[in-house]
Amino acid sequence: MTQTAVMREDVRRAIGRTAVLEEGAADPGWLNARREEAWDIYEATPLPSTRSEEWRYTDVARLLPLDELEPAAGGPARVAALPEGLRRAMAQDRESAGRIVDVDGRVVSVELDEALAAQGVVLSSLREAARAGMPEVESLLATEAVPASDGKFAALNAALWSDGVFLYVPRGVRVDRTIRLSRWISRPGTATFTRILIVAEELSRLSFVDEILSPDFSSATLVNTAVELFSRGGAQVQYVSLQRMGEGGVYLANQRTLAERDSTLDTLNVALGGSVGRVDLNARLLGPGANSDMLGLYFGDSNQHFDFNTSQDHVAPNAHSDLLYKGALDGAARGIFRGIIRVHDGAQGTDAYQTNRNLILSDEAISTSLPNLEIEADDVRCSHGATVGQLDAEALFYLMSRGLRREQAERLVVLGFLGEVLSKLPLGGVVEKVTQAIEAKLRYV
Amino acid sequence: MDDSPILVVKALEAGVADEDIDILKGVDLAIRPGEIHAVMGPNGSGKSTLAKVIAGHPEYEVTGGSVGLRGEDLLEMEPDERAQAGVFMAFQYPVEIPGVSIANFLRTALQSRLEDGEELDLFDFQELLMERMELLDMDVAFAQRPVNDGFSGGEKKRNEILQMAVLKPALAVMDETDSGLDIDALQVVARGVNTLRDEDPEMSVLLITHYQRILNHIVPDRVHVMVDGRIVESGGPEVALELEAQGYEEYRKAHAA
Repeated sequence: MTQTAVMREDVRRAIGRTAVLEEGAADPGWLNARREEAWDIYEATPLPSTRSEEWRYTDVARLLPLDELEPAAGGPARVAALPEGLRRAMAQDRESAGRIVDVDGRVVSVELDEALAAQGVVLSSLREAARAGMPEVESLLATEAVPASDGKFAALNAALWSDGVFLYVPRGVRVDRTIRLSRWISRPGTATFTRILIVAEELSRLSFVDEILSPDFSSATLVNTAVELFSRGGAQVQYVSLQRMGEGGVYLANQRTLAERDSTLDTLNVALGGSVGRVDLNARLLGPGANSDMLGLYFGDSNQHFDFNTSQDHVAPNAHSDLLYKGALDGAARGIFRGIIRVHDGAQGTDAYQTNRNLILSDEAISTSLPNLEIEADDVRCSHGATVGQLDAEALFYLMSRGLRREQAERLVVLGFLGEVLSKLPLGGVVEKVTQAIEAKLRYV
Repeated sequence: MDDSPILVVKALEAGVADEDIDILKGVDLAIRPGEIHAVMGPNGSGKSTLAKVIAGHPEYEVTGGSVGLRGEDLLEMEPDERAQAGVFMAFQYPVEIPGVSIANFLRTALQSRLEDGEELDLFDFQELLMERMELLDMDVAFAQRPVNDGFSGGEKKRNEILQMAVLKPALAVMDETDSGLDIDALQVVARGVNTLRDEDPEMSVLLITHYQRILNHIVPDRVHVMVDGRIVESGGPEVALELEAQGYEEYRKAHAA
């Protein structure tokens, strides 16, 4: 980038190297070095184009005016009172073991059960954890899971992240109640870069719900998230992302799960809001006996565009992964699922499954489903399947013949179709919250 | 007691929508409150079409005649309105609704019968459901299973009977509910229907069947034989026995076009 370009961008606090430097002012040296390096990669990496297989159906250049966005988090957090929409969503949650609230890319509050803190559980603003010298942050942040080298947006995030979450659960500690991150984006035309780093040590247990909310925006507003999840031997981890942004929201997430021997690392991606949602999820099965259930639920209407790009990397033998993504599409919504199971050389005894099912509710909605397999071992059990269907006339008649009005019948079929996903990960409060959100959308159908 | 028929079918003609083929070619039938009528016939005679036309299946088109329910024009009503008016069809092939529990389905069905703004009392509903399941000798866990999803043939038919028991129709149309059932499942279904009728002697039943067998368990007041879209003979239970002895071939020959 030329000097003049930097200056020009500096004037309006645009996304640029100045923003990187500004972000890093009070951070440790290693982090600033990592940011600078990430920015270099960002600059050297072209914007994904629809000519590439993985971005064929999502034209970022058209959907996201990156040059016009302004980093959301400038200076320290200043929040007098939490926004109404955020408070409403938080009030719906059941009791939690801990909660972080993040507004416009800055953590504004952290609460953690005292007994858990006494057992060594750490729940912190990621920024503060880095500044406090947490060794896991330095060793694992943007290194193994979502390094800058992963792509244009991974690099941008590694350079510009303003804050996020660090959650550490020591060996053998079981966190039975859910830990929650409630995020709110308030300003249109901004870009928020957040990172989540979770480390579950051996034989520990945790569940984490990441909820992203915003009002409707008149212009594209980016939320970019890098999620790095580590489950050490025998640990059990559940991560849920609830994307419930308003209109104009563009949600881009890079999620990586690294599951070691005999650990369980399950994910659920729920996409209901925003104008554009793109999730790149890569599950790595790194030790024998590792297990990842990967669940997804999306319900799009009007012009919503959801794109899921998943991969199941079986590096170790005798690991198991099972993916189920289900989506309903109404209006002129677009849904893309692209998934690959990669069984690496030597990963004998792999069990890997991948299923994507879509329900089309209107003539204009489009669903594209591209499941794939890449197998380099010979003793494996793998399957993949995809379906795209419409509301079954026979099912509607069946329900109506019991007295249900057509819209009640449709609602029940859609809720049942999507509900199958929720029933597989019945985390406290998530099922109710998502069901209500789906029902609210169905009222417009 | 009002002895006027609950269901009156007159010169009913119907076929598959968008296809120019008549299946029903003038059917007449009248069922009084509390009566059990059996319609028997060979495959392709149109007996299932009659059931579906009464329930309002969108695949069928009525081309002539009328169907009245307590004097109201049933053919003008949507399927849900017919259900609200008291018609219930037990399906030959009950449909799977994944992810929707039987309890949730029935709750919505009862809620749909209330006025706008009126809420079904969940406690009352739960009590009703439990009581109905007990009546039919069913395990309470059954109601939490997704509607027909992964059910055996017998379970699907039991589910139809449970729905009927909860919704308490004035007219139950049973579309070959007996086909594909073993004798145990058949008895369960028959006991359910008989129990409901004992409870409400006004409930009328239109029993569509291929086989005489079920009529040993649910005794009809009238038996009609349908061949090629027409009712060719009507009489008492003895008609079914004659049919059992002779088979449908005699009727077919006699009524060949």
